[in-house]
Amino acid sequence: MVGTPVLFIAIPLLAAFLIPLIGMVWKESVRIIPGLVLAYLLVLAINLLSYVTVNGPIVEVIAGWAPPIGINLVFNAFSGFLVTIMVFMGLLVWLYSYRFKSNVEYEAARKYFLLLMMLVTGSVGIVLTGDIFNMFVFIEITGISGYALTAFYTGRDSAEASFKYLMMGSIASVLLLLAIMIIYSQLGTLNMADVASKMHLMDPKLKAVSFILFVIALGIEAEVFPLNGWAPDAYAEAPGPVGAAFAGIVVKAAVYALIRYTYTIFDLSGAFNLLIIIGLITLVVAEVAAIRQEKLKRMLAYSSIGQMGLVLVSFGIGTKEGVFAALFIMLNHAIIKPLLFFSGSYLVYHSKKKMISDVDGMGKLAPLTSILFTLGAFAIVGLPPFAGFWSKLSFLMAAADSNMLLIIGLILTVSVVELVYYMRVVNRIFFFKRATHLLARRPTFNAYVVMIVLGLMILGIGFYPDSVSNYLHHAANSLFDKSQYIHSVLTATIQ
Amino acid sequence: MKKILVLLLLAVVGFYVAETFFDIGFGNSHFVKNEAIKPVKDIYLQQTVQELKVSNTVTSIVVNFRGFDTLGEVTVLFLSVTALGSILYKKRHHVGERSVLFSASSIVTSGSKLLFPAIVLLGAYVFIHGHLSPGGGFQGGVIIATGFLLMLLAYENYSVSHNGLSIVESLAGITFAGVGLLGFMNGGTFLQNFLPTGVLNDLFSGGVIPIIYIAVGFKVAAELTGVIYTVLNEKGEQNG
Repeated sequence: MVGTPVLFIAIPLLAAFLIPLIGMVWKESVRIIPGLVLAYLLVLAINLLSYVTVNGPIVEVIAGWAPPIGINLVFNAFSGFLVTIMVFMGLLVWLYSYRFKSNVEYEAARKYFLLLMMLVTGSVGIVLTGDIFNMFVFIEITGISGYALTAFYTGRDSAEASFKYLMMGSIASVLLLLAIMIIYSQLGTLNMADVASKMHLMDPKLKAVSFILFVIALGIEAEVFPLNGWAPDAYAEAPGPVGAAFAGIVVKAAVYALIRYTYTIFDLSGAFNLLIIIGLITLVVAEVAAIRQEKLKRMLAYSSIGQMGLVLVSFGIGTKEGVFAALFIMLNHAIIKPLLFFSGSYLVYHSKKKMISDVDGMGKLAPLTSILFTLGAFAIVGLPPFAGFWSKLSFLMAAADSNMLLIIGLILTVSVVELVYYMRVVNRIFFFKRATHLLARRPTFNAYVVMIVLGLMILGIGFYPDSVSNYLHHAANSLFDKSQYIHSVLTATIQ
Repeated sequence: MKKILVLLLLAVVGFYVAETFFDIGFGNSHFVKNEAIKPVKDIYLQQTVQELKVSNTVTSIVVNFRGFDTLGEVTVLFLSVTALGSILYKKRHHVGERSVLFSASSIVTSGSKLLFPAIVLLGAYVFIHGHLSPGGGFQGGVIIATGFLLMLLAYENYSVSHNGLSIVESLAGITFAGVGLLGFMNGGTFLQNFLPTGVLNDLFSGGVIPIIYIAVGFKVAAELTGVIYTVLNEKGEQNG
């Protein structure tokens, strides 16, 4: 083994404290160091992931106190898979912003890259931790970085969006803390595996109350309807790469938390149906809202919320196939949605209001960006042979296996809606005459690299879905094996 | 009508949540009602004195058993300061002097000057003795920051070096994370104690706990002073 999971947290934190010092001497370092850290973490994640698929989960003890006394981190096939996606997306977002932010001043750049790195670290921490209070701390880290990045442009609208996000996020924190208090007061422990093994001893009423508090709190972070009022504003007003980071990284962490609570910690029988119901409502409302949007980024934001609804429904099916499909959708969404945000923000770069109508005729002015956007749009709708097709297909197959025919019908109907609003944009890009005299902005070299990498990944997964499905099956199995999770954590020792 | 409905709904929800919490009985020594469960707090109470040789259990929990959370919380504070700086950043170029309605009287200014060293000393005492007596890094840091607040309020043109604050903040953070990594190299787990724990109730006891808490003290003091300074004096220094 080349490293341990705690380095995912320790190295970025050390770097975050070092950056202000090194920045005083060498200005460019504030841009470079976060990238180096993320690149190192990606190497670490890939190494650990391949180790885990062979040797089973790594449970890391912190401060020398074995669970349940101390805090522990769990790197298994499921969490490791998500960590790898997150760190990879973090690195791409960094690469994309590296020149995108070249015109801003030193002080602003330092804060931007620092907050971006901490956004990734917080999300990775949420996924890795095996302790419910520690998860709260990481949700705080992610949240505060998110609020600040939303307000980065310091305009009126972005301040409003950030304030909304801050308020909702704070309510989520309070509810989360209340839920944690209930669990600690009843079971005397905060360790997830320990809580899970003692859950049957808890008073059913208190169990239900704390579960509801968890669902509401994490639902706010995971953009579940009707708790997602902050999300479209935050996506639309934050800088383009930050929107991509929200869609590719932060929401994934929140969904992970929700799933960890329903699958591993609580043993409530109705929880899966609850996931299906909130997922379906979120999906339908978000897609219907998306078709009515006039701003490009808001449309993408609603589409992102809808995808998360689909992920929840898929988790709610409660079979291995369902979990496999959910992970596949999460993976595809993490690749496709950032591509749409990256290319989309270049398509409307010079327009003030960022309207969908501003992309008219962009196909001639910026052909490559337009084609990449179109590729993303086709993929997310689920057209073959792109990546999104396979995830939707596996979802439909999982639902069919469980005889959820009504859900299949609903999802297919909603997919048509999705198709309509994405094709509307694509149609405008290629077949409308340009109404304004705004020129297209040429993406920077790094942005091209990032978008082309994402585009190639979409094609790669589209043509060879088997390349990822093995890992996904591993990950799905490890989420299902609750007793193994509990056993491996509670018997963990200091290596 | 809509508002009344909302209020009614909130009242119902509030009632049930409050009722739930009322039953739990926080603050009782045995609020974990089920006899079959052994809460971790018993282990904390026992191990703090036996193994860590620390007389303040809260400190041992905050810095050692759950030190990873504290590292996270310190980061939250650090990020809040960074976030505040990034949001107020654009304004700094335009706003001039601090707006002062009337200057402080000589009683306030000379009184503050006298009190300031005493406050800083008290803060330092609180965080240096964090493992022996009530208090610790967070509390001591806040006390020191109030000293700076007093000076900033008493003197219109009192200034704190932004670079200085940021150096203190960074060094303290590096100390915390560095001690954690040293524990990782020496003992195998992050934040593990690798120094001799010494004798209970000695100033130099508890292994790495006092070192971490002193770093936290410096960090909190620098960060809160930075927050106060940024908000009071939006002009600040021009970073270039």
